[in-house]
Amino acid sequence: MLQYIARRLLVAVPMLLGAMSIVFFAMRVLPGDPCVAMMGDQATSGALADCNKSLGLNRPLAVQYVDYLWRSVRFDFGNSFRQGYPVSDYIARMFPHTFILVVASAIVAALVGIPIGIVSALKRRNPLIDYPLRIIALLGLSMPVFWLGILLLIVFSLRFDLFPLIGGGDLDGVMAMIGSGEMFTQPRDFLAAVADVLHHLALPALALGFTLAATVSRLSRSAMLEVISQDYIRTARAKGQRERLVVYKHALRNMLVPLLTIIGIFVAIALTGTVLTETVFTRPGLGKMLVDAIGARDYPLAQGAITVFTMTIIMVNLVVDMLYAVVDPRITYR
Amino acid sequence: MAQPLRLCLSVFLVLISALGVVDLIAPPPAEAQKKILNIAAKEPDTLDPHSSTLGQSQAIARFMFRGLTRFAIKNSKVTTAEVEPDLAESWTLSPEGTIWTIKLRKGVQFHKGYGEMTAEDVKWSFERQISHAPGTRYGVNLEVIKSIEVVNPYTLQIALKAFDPIFLLRMVGYQNGYIVSKKAMEKLGDGFKWNPVGTGPFYFERHSPREKIVLKAFDKFYGGRPQIDEVHWYDVPEDATKLIGLEKGTFDLLYPEAVTADFADQVKRMGAVIDRRGPGGQERIYINMTQPPFDDIRVRKAFMHAIDRKAIKETMYPGSLARLATSCLPDGYFGHIPMEFPPYNPELAKKLLAEAGHPNGFTVKNYFISKSFFYPKLMTLAQEQLRKVGIIVELQVVEHATFHENIRKNLDPFVVYGGTRITDADPWLSLFFDGKEIPDPASGNKGTNFAHYRGMDDLLTSGRVERDVKKRAAIYAEAQKRLQKELVCLPISDVPGQWARNPKRVSTPFDPEYGEFSLHYSYNYPELLKVLN
Repeated sequence: MLQYIARRLLVAVPMLLGAMSIVFFAMRVLPGDPCVAMMGDQATSGALADCNKSLGLNRPLAVQYVDYLWRSVRFDFGNSFRQGYPVSDYIARMFPHTFILVVASAIVAALVGIPIGIVSALKRRNPLIDYPLRIIALLGLSMPVFWLGILLLIVFSLRFDLFPLIGGGDLDGVMAMIGSGEMFTQPRDFLAAVADVLHHLALPALALGFTLAATVSRLSRSAMLEVISQDYIRTARAKGQRERLVVYKHALRNMLVPLLTIIGIFVAIALTGTVLTETVFTRPGLGKMLVDAIGARDYPLAQGAITVFTMTIIMVNLVVDMLYAVVDPRITYR
Repeated sequence: MAQPLRLCLSVFLVLISALGVVDLIAPPPAEAQKKILNIAAKEPDTLDPHSSTLGQSQAIARFMFRGLTRFAIKNSKVTTAEVEPDLAESWTLSPEGTIWTIKLRKGVQFHKGYGEMTAEDVKWSFERQISHAPGTRYGVNLEVIKSIEVVNPYTLQIALKAFDPIFLLRMVGYQNGYIVSKKAMEKLGDGFKWNPVGTGPFYFERHSPREKIVLKAFDKFYGGRPQIDEVHWYDVPEDATKLIGLEKGTFDLLYPEAVTADFADQVKRMGAVIDRRGPGGQERIYINMTQPPFDDIRVRKAFMHAIDRKAIKETMYPGSLARLATSCLPDGYFGHIPMEFPPYNPELAKKLLAEAGHPNGFTVKNYFISKSFFYPKLMTLAQEQLRKVGIIVELQVVEHATFHENIRKNLDPFVVYGGTRITDADPWLSLFFDGKEIPDPASGNKGTNFAHYRGMDDLLTSGRVERDVKKRAAIYAEAQKRLQKELVCLPISDVPGQWARNPKRVSTPFDPEYGEFSLHYSYNYPELLKVLN
């Protein structure tokens, strides 16, 4: 197993380098000068020349590329063109917000989507159950996250005043308390800070999770349909086992492998979904930052964010591959 | 399977209720007593006032920085293009008109203990821009300066290359005119971008990226401590979220991306007001007079007859949301006179096109337009009107950066453009009609004379040295008459700067309807804003 992980990690290196190179050149192929984007209608010839020089864009492309790769391997993505902050610091601050949003929405999506998918598959011959569930799934698929987000804000934040309108809570404080060990010495403060973060997280996670639950429920339904058509399910039923036992013991466990695949895909979908969610709920995070960076031709910020996204997806897929072996003893890695 | 579903639902409801309760906890008493002004806008790109180009960056800069001069308050209105001393106490101009001796106000303190403002700080603030220090954007506005000499800590002499009729306007607290602390800049270097030190009524406290910026009242502000204790500037990109926040009371002031009729209605319905600040930005069309078929003046005239300016303005900004533009030099700028433009008359447009050899009209292929701001809406409306006379425009909607790049490559035969400048004819006309500003991909010139017009260079040169105000006004009146004759510019709307304000929470001494002149900011005197409860 360890050998397999090491091999996968080694393979991930050229993948990551490839992705970084594509991003580097794709950003430069995109029409639009970063300095013009920054200065807009204030851009004069002299100001543009100064700007290009100060950003290092007047250097040959090959020099910029080598410099970028060399810096990146040391996790130095340079400074944001626009704001001047070191990109690594920026990402380190933003990524946890995006990460917890993805995790929380995954939980919501799983809690809502998987049971709906399973019930929908098992009760597919009962239109009174199957049809409403499929309609819910369709609603989720067709409801844009920004629309649902605004709706949730109007109901739960504006009308009932139960949730904050904007922000991500004091996640920096939570992480600092974890790092310094204050979570053990001042558990009440720590729990209050965690509650604040969760409080800010609830609506965005619901909005993103619900729209993604639709996808999860459809994938779960297909997975369950495939599993319950297998011979061993028929055998279990023929042996006279109770339906609940057949589902819990035989079907659900065998459904875990396709379910893990769904989770792997889910991370990629959820990461893209964070863009609109972070915008509507005014949460700090990588998704919105990435879109802004591309629009503003902020090369270092866009490159850094995409590199982190790529690494996340590679790592999640690696973990998913590892888990295959855990949930299915027939799978072994050498 | 009903059981797990019930379980999930219960957990979900408990979670919702538990988390909801957290918000009901009242803030600590000290926090509640503070006068906090909550603003929803987008996040600035920098807090260095000499580097900021975005509207929100320039708006927040006004809270922290001041210039040697400021726009004067006359009859309870903040005037257009009239200045009075601010950080300067007085000034004199040498008889030949090239040396300004400026006496500074004594006792003006910089934020965070950086000491008293002196002539060295003023010299530093201008020279860093003139020498095009990395990141600075407005050196071009100070190129008239030949040298700056510090006479004593409170006096400096600024020698100009030639007489400059708008020198005092250049010194106003806006963009290049802001005075920064030399000591702070030398100490902080690049860090100044997010640790700004000025002399304004509020000082920078902290920045949580993508969340908010906190400013605090400056006790030693020379105009007296502001009534507001703290300004919380939230990064809220979505106008819909801003509106919900205004209704909920989370925000007191909104800087919207775009004020639409719907936005204005919602603001009115919730009892808030819109502070309109003129002259704001002008939306207009420049026609490249060197590019066929627009090199034929009959085609340019037909183009203008085909555009129903009033309909476009009313569709985009119904009623008082904007004013129909009356000149290629916006109303409110020194030198402005109303111009006449070919009225909307599609039949006449068709006739002129036929005369010019285009009886069936023509097609403009690959016309690039920005997908941002007002650009796509204005161009879509114009496209439909042009289609009716046979001018087919095939739109390519692109990102804003791409649009700016392409129009400087002369890829669009006519260019939709917007923007705000110092309110005098010289900087405005120089940027958009000076022959030196014609964009040319071959030479790398990325100027903004999109009309490729060379017909007023002589007037611009004479206007820059004319010391008689009336004669200057006459020069720019003549410039506008020439534009009227050549038909290279069609202004559509003069759109004021607009912020939404909750009047129950925040007051301003100026009339919401054009009570202040505004450039990129709407509140010239943020220290006069008051939080009411």
